[in-house]
Amino acid sequence: MEVLIQTLVAGILMGGIYALVGLGMTLIMGVMKIVNLAHGQLMMIAMYITFVLFDHFHIDPYFSLLVSMPALFLLGAFIQKYLLNPLLKVDSILPENQVLMTVGIGMILTEIVRFIFQSDYKSVKTSYSFSTMYLGTISFNTSMVVAFCIAVLLTGGLFFFLAKTDVGKSVRATAQNKDAALLMGVNAEWITILTYGLGAALVAAAGTLLLPIYYLFPDVGGRFTLKAFVITILGGMGSTVGAIVGGVFLGIAESLGATYISMALSDAVGLVIFLLVLIFLPGGLKKLTKI
Amino acid sequence: MKRMVSAIVTLSFALAFLVLPAFAQETVKVGIILPVTGEKAKFGEIEKKSFEMALEEINAAGGINGKKLEFLLEDDTGRPDVARSAAEKLITKDKVVMLGGGYGSSETFAIAGVAQQSRIPFLVNTGSDDKITEKKWEYIFRLNPPVSEYPKGLESFLTEVVKPKTAVILYENTNFGSSGSKEFKATCERLGIKVLMMEGYEHGGVDFKPLLIKVKQANPDLVYMISYLMDASLLMRQSLELRVTPKLFVGGAAGFTLPEFQKNAGKASDMVYSATLWYQTLPYPGAKKYFDDFKKKFGVDTEYHGAEAYAAAFVIADALKRTKSMGPEDVRQALAATDMMTVFGPVKFIAYDTMTNQNKLPTYLVQWIDGKLELVWPKDVASKPYVYPIDWEKVWK
Repeated sequence: MEVLIQTLVAGILMGGIYALVGLGMTLIMGVMKIVNLAHGQLMMIAMYITFVLFDHFHIDPYFSLLVSMPALFLLGAFIQKYLLNPLLKVDSILPENQVLMTVGIGMILTEIVRFIFQSDYKSVKTSYSFSTMYLGTISFNTSMVVAFCIAVLLTGGLFFFLAKTDVGKSVRATAQNKDAALLMGVNAEWITILTYGLGAALVAAAGTLLLPIYYLFPDVGGRFTLKAFVITILGGMGSTVGAIVGGVFLGIAESLGATYISMALSDAVGLVIFLLVLIFLPGGLKKLTKI
Repeated sequence: MKRMVSAIVTLSFALAFLVLPAFAQETVKVGIILPVTGEKAKFGEIEKKSFEMALEEINAAGGINGKKLEFLLEDDTGRPDVARSAAEKLITKDKVVMLGGGYGSSETFAIAGVAQQSRIPFLVNTGSDDKITEKKWEYIFRLNPPVSEYPKGLESFLTEVVKPKTAVILYENTNFGSSGSKEFKATCERLGIKVLMMEGYEHGGVDFKPLLIKVKQANPDLVYMISYLMDASLLMRQSLELRVTPKLFVGGAAGFTLPEFQKNAGKASDMVYSATLWYQTLPYPGAKKYFDDFKKKFGVDTEYHGAEAYAAAFVIADALKRTKSMGPEDVRQALAATDMMTVFGPVKFIAYDTMTNQNKLPTYLVQWIDGKLELVWPKDVASKPYVYPIDWEKVWK
C-alpha cells in the first residue's frame, strides 16, 4: 500500500510539471495548427536563464520565474514574428515547412547554448534542494510540491485569461476558425505572435520549476519535446483541459509503469499510451472533456 | 562591384588551395571518434582534451619518426548510427592509418564492426561492453578492462571487509549497463550474495523514486549501480530523500568518479563507493603529472576516462613508430606487439578467457570522503583509509 501511495504521489507531482510543458504546446498547436518541435529547446533556454541568475546573482529559482517567463515570451514572439509568420507567405512544396522550421530553430538554440556553456552538466543547489516533507512514511520532495502548486496557479491564470479577457477570447476564436475571426476584426497575425509567446512562457515556467529537481545540459530539450507531443495528442490538439489531464495522466502512468512493470519501460509506457490514443481515441481526451 | 568582390574571393580561395599543400609537412593521420556533442559530450570533452594534450607532447618530441602525427576528430554524438558513418568517412575519405577513441559501448561496437570489415586497426580506449573483444576480431584492440572486470577490485573488498548477504543491482538499459549487471550478478552468486532485485532504467529519468521505493522495501546490504553521471547523482539524491539505507552504495565506475557527480549530488554523494580503473596517485610513471598538467591547462579535474585517452594516444604513437609501413596490416602487427608503460598502467594486448587483443589491468575501489574522491582499496595503494560501516543518518544530516 505504501508503495502504491508513494508511486501515485510521485506521478501526480511529476504530472503537474508535464501539464505545464504540454499546455504551451497545445496552445500553439490550437492556434497555428503546427507541432512546435522546438518546445523542449525553449524550455532548455529558460533553464539556462534560471541557472545563470542563480549562479551569478544568487537569485532563487522561484523568483527567476519573473525573469525567465517574460524573456521566453519575447523570444517566442520574436520567433513567430520573424521566423514562422514569413513562411506562411511563401509557396512551398511542403505545407509543413513551419514545422521543419521549428526543428531547425530547436537545433540552433541547442548549439548556441552548447557554444556558450559547453556540454557540462549543471544543476542548481538551493538550501531546499535536499529538503523533504514526510506525511507518515510518504515522502514529498519540497521542490516538487512547490513546483506543483505554482503549476496549478499558472494553469488557473491561463484559464482566466482565455475565458474572461477579450484577448483570450480572440485567441480561442482564432483557434476555432481563423477566417471567421479575421472577419470579426481579430488581428490574427498578432494573435499568433502572442500565442507563441505565451506557449514559450509556459514552458519556461516548467523549465524553471524543474531545474532544482533535475539538471541541465544543452540537449535536455529533446526529451521534453517528445513528452509535450505525447501529452498534446493525449489531451486532444488545442485542448487546454486535455493537456492538464493528459499531463497528470502521463505522470501517473509513467510512475505506475516504473513501479509495477519496470523503470526501463517507463518511457515506453508513455509511447504505448500515445499509440492507443491514436488508434482508439483519435481526438484525444478532448472528445471526452469537450473543451 | 559585387561581381568584383566575389571574383576576388573565389580567386583567393583557389590560390589558398593551391598553395597550402606545398607548405604542409608530411603527416600521419589517425581518426579519433568521440562524443563531443549530445548527452555523453561531457566525457567526450575530457577525452578530447586528453588526446590533444598527448598529441602536443608527441609532436613536440619529434612526432612519428619526424613526421607530424595528426588526430582527425569525428563526433559520434553518442549514437551508434552516427558513429558508424563517422568511421566509414574516416576510413574511405580521409584515408586514416588507424582509428582510436570509442566512448559509449554501443557506438564503439558499431565502429569496431566497420573497422574489422575495412581491415583498419582500431584501438578502443573506453567502450567496455565485453563483446567488443569477444568477436575474435583481429583488427580490434582494447586498452581498458572490459565492464565485467570493473568490480574486480570491489570483490576482494566485499569478501574481506563487508561480507554482505544481499544485493540489489540497478543499471541503465544500454549495452554497458546490461552487460555489466549480468556480470555483477554472476559475481554475487559466486560470492554467495543473494541478488534480491535487478532492474534497468531508461537513461535520463527525472524521477527514480518508484524504483528506489522497491529498493527500500527489499532492504539489501549492498546497492550496486551502473549509471552515467546525472542518473548517478539523481539516484543518490533521491535515495537520501527516501532514506534508502543499505550498508553501502557502490557505483560501477562511469558516472560515479567524475567531479561533477560530487558537484551535482552534493552531500548525497558522500561515502559512496565506486569501482574505478585508475587514480592519479597510482604508482604508474607520469600519472600524477598528467593529472596536474590537465588541471593546470584546463582548470578542471580529470579522471579515469581522460587517463584512458591520454594513454591511448601514446600507445597509438608507439605502434606507428614501430610499424614497418603505414599499411593497415603492418600497423596491426605493430599494435599487437605493443609492450609499454603508460599513465594508465602497462599495456600489452593478449588473449585470455573469451577475449582477444585485450589489455589486462587491475581495477580499484574509490570512495567519496568529505567531498573528495579517494582511492581506498586495495590497501597497499590507498590514498586514504576506507570509511566503513557508514552511519547514513550522520552523513545525510
